[in-house]
Amino acid sequence: MTSLVCPAYLSVKTPDSLIGLCGTALAAEDGVTLEAHALRFADPFGLALLGATFYMLQRRGQKVRVAGLSDAVGSYLQRMDVFEGVELVDCAPPRGQRHDQSDGLVELTRLDQRNQIDRAANQLAEALVGRMPDIDPNEPWDEMSGDNTADRIAIPISYALTELLNNAMSHARLKGHGDACVWVASQYYRKTGRLQLAVVDNGCGMLETLRYHASLRDLPRKTDLEAILAALRPRVSCNRDLGVFNDSVNQGIGLTTTARIAEHAGGRLVVVSGAGYHDPLGQSRRLANSARWQGVAIALECQRDALLNVRYRELMPPIEGMPPLHLRFEE
Amino acid sequence: MRTQIPLIQHAHGRLIGARETAIPLRLQVEEALASGADVVFDFTGVEVTQSFIDALIGVLILKRGPDVLDQMVFKSCSDDARAIIEFVATDRADQYLKTHAH
Repeated sequence: MTSLVCPAYLSVKTPDSLIGLCGTALAAEDGVTLEAHALRFADPFGLALLGATFYMLQRRGQKVRVAGLSDAVGSYLQRMDVFEGVELVDCAPPRGQRHDQSDGLVELTRLDQRNQIDRAANQLAEALVGRMPDIDPNEPWDEMSGDNTADRIAIPISYALTELLNNAMSHARLKGHGDACVWVASQYYRKTGRLQLAVVDNGCGMLETLRYHASLRDLPRKTDLEAILAALRPRVSCNRDLGVFNDSVNQGIGLTTTARIAEHAGGRLVVVSGAGYHDPLGQSRRLANSARWQGVAIALECQRDALLNVRYRELMPPIEGMPPLHLRFEE
Repeated sequence: MRTQIPLIQHAHGRLIGARETAIPLRLQVEEALASGADVVFDFTGVEVTQSFIDALIGVLILKRGPDVLDQMVFKSCSDDARAIIEFVATDRADQYLKTHAH
């Protein structure tokens, strides 16, 4: 067994150590033991990456063992369904609160089919909002808009999840990664009013998707970070035009809009792909210590109540020089 | 003649958003357009993503040009859905016109 020491934080705030841990585990050729005595906190981004790593190791027939989890962290990770098939050693027993909904978390979910996207995104958003103790899903609907507070929070969450899953289920599966999966986790932090969604895939990564796109073609050195920055620009997609089957796969707007939802709701969209790390409120850089994630890992963080003010008209990129079309809208 | 497409029948919640969901619907729309019918998309009770609208309508604009919009009616849209439809239609019409300019 390869023995690895888990850092104290598995979080979007500590991407180098988190992704370094996952990469080292995935490089092991035998079973992996994660010494988790020091682990104090994990967020959905950390959980999704850890869950994806455990899944991939087990798919390769490698045993995964976690040792020394504290009561609080172990109980939390159990409830997030991170330990499927994992042997727990020297860990405090779970406290039997698996269905306690007081802390607004939604369990780690793995998707591997495109036709799961709509159902999963709606269910995850509704589950997250349903576990917010101050939101009443049965609040009467507003007569003008036809929705209530729970809907007005759930819809932008579902929107962001759907767009991230649309991307993950299409682009991630290119270039020989047809069996790529996607992991989703989320949590609402009541004390701060913030929520985090994490969407992680183990596909080909943004650089492979965009390697021959015009936005990267002329760069002397193509990097994961350049690919991330390009993907965040509107209308950048590997397949914006009609394809061989007379279909178009992507308008190149989904990731841009998702980033703007986060921004308009007082938050940020953090993106990791390969060795690239982009944080619009911090540094965009190469991950330290040769850490890299094969695929794309995204964390959307925002203020929950600010989602009520998201207006999609303000999120769409401008179209210059094109007169408005006459479209037939009816009441 | 009008072909009605109530989107809520294809939704798994308040939002209908996957590109995948739009593909069978678009085939239905193409059949209706081929018969000369107008197509009425009924948005009652649903919100949509830009990706879904692009897969449903944007692809048709790229294939047939912006005139295809003359056969389409968008019914009972929220402000957000309307903004998304306007964006997708304009962006794809712009792309079509630039591609076919010469």
